[in-house]
Amino acid sequence: MELFEFLQYPFMQRALVAGILLGVLLAALGVFVTLRRMAFFGEGIAHASLAGIAIAILVGMNPLPIAMIWAVILALLIFILEQKTKLPIDTVIGIFFTSSMALGVVLMSFTTGFQPELLSFLFGSILSVSISDLWTIAIPTIVILIWLFSSQRQLTFLSLSEEQAIVSGIPVRLQTALLYIALAIATVLGVKILGIILVSALLIIPPAISRLHAKSFRSHMILAVLFSEVIIVLGLALSFLYDLPSGAVIVLVGAFLFLLSLLFSH
Amino acid sequence: MIQVKNLSVAFGHQTILSHVSFNVQHGEIAAVIGPNGSGKTTLIRAILGLISSEGEVLIENEHPSHIRAHVGYVPQRFRFDPDFPITVKEYLDLPRPHVHKKEYSQKLKEVGLEASILHKPLGSLSGGQLQRVLIAQATIHHPSLLILDEPSTGIDIVGEEQFYDLLKEQRDQHGTTIILVSHDIAVISSIVDQVICVNKKLICFGPPKQALTQEKLSELYGKKDAALYSHHQHH
Repeated sequence: MELFEFLQYPFMQRALVAGILLGVLLAALGVFVTLRRMAFFGEGIAHASLAGIAIAILVGMNPLPIAMIWAVILALLIFILEQKTKLPIDTVIGIFFTSSMALGVVLMSFTTGFQPELLSFLFGSILSVSISDLWTIAIPTIVILIWLFSSQRQLTFLSLSEEQAIVSGIPVRLQTALLYIALAIATVLGVKILGIILVSALLIIPPAISRLHAKSFRSHMILAVLFSEVIIVLGLALSFLYDLPSGAVIVLVGAFLFLLSLLFSH
Repeated sequence: MIQVKNLSVAFGHQTILSHVSFNVQHGEIAAVIGPNGSGKTTLIRAILGLISSEGEVLIENEHPSHIRAHVGYVPQRFRFDPDFPITVKEYLDLPRPHVHKKEYSQKLKEVGLEASILHKPLGSLSGGQLQRVLIAQATIHHPSLLILDEPSTGIDIVGEEQFYDLLKEQRDQHGTTIILVSHDIAVISSIVDQVICVNKKLICFGPPKQALTQEKLSELYGKKDAALYSHHQHH
């Protein structure tokens, strides 16, 4: 079939594996992002990771691990400030998002010549995923998913009612901090395929579509992951078929499915 | 037994509660009463260890954080997006998974709900049904202490009476000690063993008939409002 012709190319196979892994991860975390109304977190961390990418490019290292470490530090700072001050989380994220991105821009000005790495992180480059990138994506993804599925009841409870969760003995602070760290890592990994500008779409669109159809939390989670995979595979195939930027096509497929779901959900 | 000794809470320089002390015995129902902004919810949250406080709170001679498994809590506001897809069973499962379905059915029956409600979306329940589900979740593990913050909010008068009957049944069947925050002195006076009157400090404590004197009500609510409360109390 012409649509799936892209599967015969090794770079597309690697792209598909990366997409499928990140599709599960971002959609599963996205369920909690939408429940907690923290969509801005993904957006903020993605933009803030520019400073990590700039540092890696300046010192000649692989940008993905450095950006991940940078994002985790920021996520922890956001968590600590949220706990210690009375500032709303979106304000705290906004401060770090803009200042870290500004730092990234300043650091980038020290690099000379054309920076293909920078462009690939701004708009994503799923087609350039290497075998070592696949490992960098697969290992954290598996670790986060194991934690997420073993903690999903606790995460749901603390997201619905933090006080009840504390009283029932759930380690709320620890699990919240771990959720922020997991989100930071997942967002940076997502930057590789969708880019800084579009990555939060995969955190938000699949759970949003799933919510329109799901009747239980279990079905919400399963549908979010399924929609995420459909969006990524279809987006990749269409971008290959029509020679279009893959990250943008993935997001547009997601938006189209969301509109379609809106029409047929009631 | 719940022992509260010299409990004080301050947010910055603002004192919310000052040197509150009282004991509630095992199996008693106690109501925390007081005007708006008097520190009722703060007292409850301090007892639960949700906010930092000075003084001492002991539940069955232990610090609250050490005996989480013996405490059930129904908060004042359970705000959630009613469109969020979660069934009643999934919600009940959140703090303690692997509870047998039979236990749920029995607990739901105790709180006056049918077992068929388990598969309904939580967001589709009425205010009264939701309140009962919250109590079912807070008591499924048979806590020795159940704390409810303004539990009858959003329930009509008939529902309110049934609701307080339900609390009495919890106490009678399981020996649960219950502390609840309430505005409704008239209703709670007939069902509670102790009232804890607070307005920044402890104004009165004891069985309602002895503790709720005209003088104490005036101190608690101010002279004008106290007459109204006193009138309600004697009807």
